[in-house]
Amino acid sequence: MAYITNYEYYANNGVGSESANWGSYQYVFLKDIVNNFELQFVGNDKLINNVDRHTIIFHAKRGIQELTYDALKSAKVLELTIDETLKMVLPPDYVNFIRISLEVEGVLFPMVENKQVTFANSYLQDNNNEIIFDLDGNVVEVTSQLDMHRLAGDTQKIYNGPGVYNGYYGWCVNGDWYFSRRLEIDPSTANRNVTYNIDKSGGVIDFSSDITGMNVVLEYISDGMENGDEALISINKLAEDAIYKHIKWAILDNKFGVPMYERQEAKKQRRAAISNAKIRLSNIHPSRLLMVLRGQGKWIK
Amino acid sequence: MINRVRNTVLAIINKNNNGYITPDEFNLFATQAQLDIFEEYFSNYTIAIQKVNARVAGTGYADSLKRCEDVIDIFMVPSATLTFASGVFPIPQDVYKLERLNYNGRTNVDKISQQKANNLLSSDRTQPSKLFPCYSLAGYSATVYPSTIQSGITATYVRYPADPKWTYTVPNGSESPFFNPAANDYQDFELPLSDEMNLITRILQMSGISIREEEVVQAAKSEEVQDKQEQ
Repeated sequence: MAYITNYEYYANNGVGSESANWGSYQYVFLKDIVNNFELQFVGNDKLINNVDRHTIIFHAKRGIQELTYDALKSAKVLELTIDETLKMVLPPDYVNFIRISLEVEGVLFPMVENKQVTFANSYLQDNNNEIIFDLDGNVVEVTSQLDMHRLAGDTQKIYNGPGVYNGYYGWCVNGDWYFSRRLEIDPSTANRNVTYNIDKSGGVIDFSSDITGMNVVLEYISDGMENGDEALISINKLAEDAIYKHIKWAILDNKFGVPMYERQEAKKQRRAAISNAKIRLSNIHPSRLLMVLRGQGKWIK
Repeated sequence: MINRVRNTVLAIINKNNNGYITPDEFNLFATQAQLDIFEEYFSNYTIAIQKVNARVAGTGYADSLKRCEDVIDIFMVPSATLTFASGVFPIPQDVYKLERLNYNGRTNVDKISQQKANNLLSSDRTQPSKLFPCYSLAGYSATVYPSTIQSGITATYVRYPADPKWTYTVPNGSESPFFNPAANDYQDFELPLSDEMNLITRILQMSGISIREEEVVQAAKSEEVQDKQEQ
């Protein structure tokens, strides 16, 4: 018997979102993983016995997270328009970013991460530089000068003066001009597009300037936890064996009295299964290789 | 089976004019004997599992694990509906071993200890949900998490065997009670027929002690030892 009928697959039985089941056959859901594990790996005559279901759920979720980081590589993409604060709030299921680009008329311009600090928290201080506290004993926070200059876009100005740097962008600090030396430019940041800096603790991306009203596309990875909605947590079937092996190893490794050889064996099985899953999910197949190798006959002029 | 067991017990006891046990005494001894044997099935079940894991268990007719399971399953109540009251689900009083709770028929409700309940409820990854509900037990009350679950809970459990009762009537002009299986409170043994000898032996033991006949007790004990060795 089919898992779901074709009508349910293509049209969701005519109820709700039509696309709800499209592509669902690729995935196995957390509920099934936990149920199958309890059924096939836990029992009086199995290696694992007397284990609580919440332990299985915990290790299943951790396994899905690890596989999502390493093997699955299923990126999420989000486009947002940047307002005058030059900030982009990180998506709720954000774990790490892959690439951030500026979208201009359908073309993506990849941006470069600015490794230097471009944001700061600041405390309100009085004339004697003493920190000011509120009635609850907490410091009063204000926008830092660094942020204000970044938002104003006045960190760099065009130098109109004598010498070879006339017409170049530079920094004017206390009347003295500073320029980046072109011969020693850092190639990792040599990009004319806007730069960004991720404020992880603040949960935002800070952009340098000049992109108010423009669209930014964030490609990022999540942890597969679907914002805590357990009914949606799933993993590709190519990694199904890897997740069972992971749960088995994690439980045996934390159980009292399990001989070391059993733990080692479970660890080896897990590693082999994950490695297998990575190879399968990397989608290396002859037609793709062929397309890449066709390029080798091209003359480099 | 209960009448045959009683007749056999009386026949053995009366053989040497050792004494007589009343129907009420017999019913008391029968209840205890049945409970003893019933509980023994669970310890035998554990032993059978150990044999399976040691690869010394047989299959087919030699499958002692399956035999134990078959007997225990006689007392299995597959889905008793529990009714929510005062924040908990009261558990039936005849529960010997609560196997599991089910939510909406198919979802297992996992048992957690009271000590872990708080940790679990505040856990970010294993917090109980309608997909993976949990329950903790205090006395005969089950608290189901998440607390939004207030219906749809059924229990699968092994119940205690019903107390056997040899019912009787005493016709006019007679001193001996006559067996009356038509009485409303009549209850036969619930154990399988294969346990008849075992029941007789245990009832004899208790009867022997009751009528202060050491010989009956010793005979019953030696019979029980022999039975165990055969197993």
